[in-house]
Amino acid sequence: MEKSGTSTRLAGAVQGLTSELVSALRSGDPFRLAGSVAEGDDPEVTAGLALAAVRVVGADAVLPSALRNAPCESDDLSMFSKAVHAYPPPAGASPTSVWSHWAMRRALLRLDASLDGDWDHDAEPGAAWLDDAPWQFLTHQLAVLAPLALPDEDCAVARVARGRPVDVSRGFVRAVRRRDWLQAAEAGRWLVLLDGVPETLGLVTGLEFVAQMGRDDARVALQVQAAQLMRAGVRV
Amino acid sequence: MTSTRLIHSVGAGALEWLYAHRDGFRLEPDVDPEVGFLERFKPVAELALICKVLFREGVAGSRQAQLARQLVDHAWRHTLDGGRMLVLGQATEPLSPVPFEVYLPFKELGYSHPEAEQAFLLNQRLESHAALEMAPVRRLGLSAYQRRFGLPPRPPEADIVPETWLGRTPEPWTVEGHTAYDITHTVFHLTNWGEHHDGLPPRIADYLATWLPAWLDDWLDLQRWDLLGELLVVDACLPRPTWDERAWEGFAAAQQPDGAMPAIRTMPQGDPDEVFDIVYHPTLVAAFASVLATSRAMTRLAHAPA
Repeated sequence: MEKSGTSTRLAGAVQGLTSELVSALRSGDPFRLAGSVAEGDDPEVTAGLALAAVRVVGADAVLPSALRNAPCESDDLSMFSKAVHAYPPPAGASPTSVWSHWAMRRALLRLDASLDGDWDHDAEPGAAWLDDAPWQFLTHQLAVLAPLALPDEDCAVARVARGRPVDVSRGFVRAVRRRDWLQAAEAGRWLVLLDGVPETLGLVTGLEFVAQMGRDDARVALQVQAAQLMRAGVRV
Repeated sequence: MTSTRLIHSVGAGALEWLYAHRDGFRLEPDVDPEVGFLERFKPVAELALICKVLFREGVAGSRQAQLARQLVDHAWRHTLDGGRMLVLGQATEPLSPVPFEVYLPFKELGYSHPEAEQAFLLNQRLESHAALEMAPVRRLGLSAYQRRFGLPPRPPEADIVPETWLGRTPEPWTVEGHTAYDITHTVFHLTNWGEHHDGLPPRIADYLATWLPAWLDDWLDLQRWDLLGELLVVDACLPRPTWDERAWEGFAAAQQPDGAMPAIRTMPQGDPDEVFDIVYHPTLVAAFASVLATSRAMTRLAHAPA
């Protein structure tokens, strides 16, 4: 019961944080991470939940700053940094877990130049697990790593995605057909950055369709919003 | 790539089942007029069509070829009573194109019934026949049949293609079951049931090569064997088939030990006639997909460097 209660609260905190991010991307208003996450009676529990929610959202927790290329407030940065350090990938973690954490460290470095020294010790993970990956698996893994889908990101995962636009497009079709709106939105976010996406995919209307069908999930809205902004080349 | 042996065995099994259940291809002259006498003609037409493909491709073993010949003969002599049932069908519904569609593959296989042909020819001259409102993919099929019969297609097929769903190459993520059947049949008509691999306009062939893998994946996971089989036929109609391994293995695994192919998920239970009506089509499709995919695989082998 306790576990289930905690996961429900975490899911709620993730939705709450994500909704705030969507609003910030839509409006262009400044986004404040600190105070956007969880509220509750016990400050300690609330703070823990907030950090966990930031870890779940990953590098996208600072997406407005990343897309805007704007600095973060220091308390936001501090909170994001805490989440990065509180949840290092355990030994034997899956490649997506390792990469997702790497994406957070990368985002942190971009927002806080004082960490430059740190970065040298944080080599980019490998992407060999995606070699020869069937398009279904490839799309699923890329979808999980959607926070890496950024206009100026040049990491091994992004290079794999750039080499397989048709396969990711097929994955988008598959996700829509399965009504997996989140995966579709995440794949769509990658697709707006790739050359060689078949014209017949209908990506622009596809993203709108996914947003409409997945409108009950703020995570879908966030990915579609990010995709649409990146496609328009807009700095928020 | 999927083993040709696996693909071939699906067709061999399907033909055994079809022959063992040939009495299932039956007409019902006393059927309720609301249902329509012509309702049960469709399976007979499909049987003749698939057997014709089997003879044309020439890759079936001698046993399969013999079973197919006996099946077609049975359908003509018994089910259609030597063509007399086509005359009766046309007399029952004078403006229906169905008896003509059933007759054509039999005629191409060497059977004939002059009285039936006379009725068809008159029918084809009616303005009403050209004006009948129907889905573009169905109209495309009728024009193709007119051409094959030696009549001028009205309207020409090239005029109809842009009106079909596939001809417009829409968003591939919008495909539903009924759209998928429209796609498969557009391909069947444009390639003359897999005979002309260059029959698809390049724009459509490219579209299919790009999106077919996603659709195969989807209907495999949904265990919609009838539609999956038709999509495997489409693969074998493309300039460069993929013989999708996962789809073929799933399709083969769904086939029953006696050769029957369930339409969706698992075999239905119950009255044998009702079971036949549900599974005859996916089983015919299995034979069709098998013979075309085998034929394309053998052509590839023949062209491979020694």
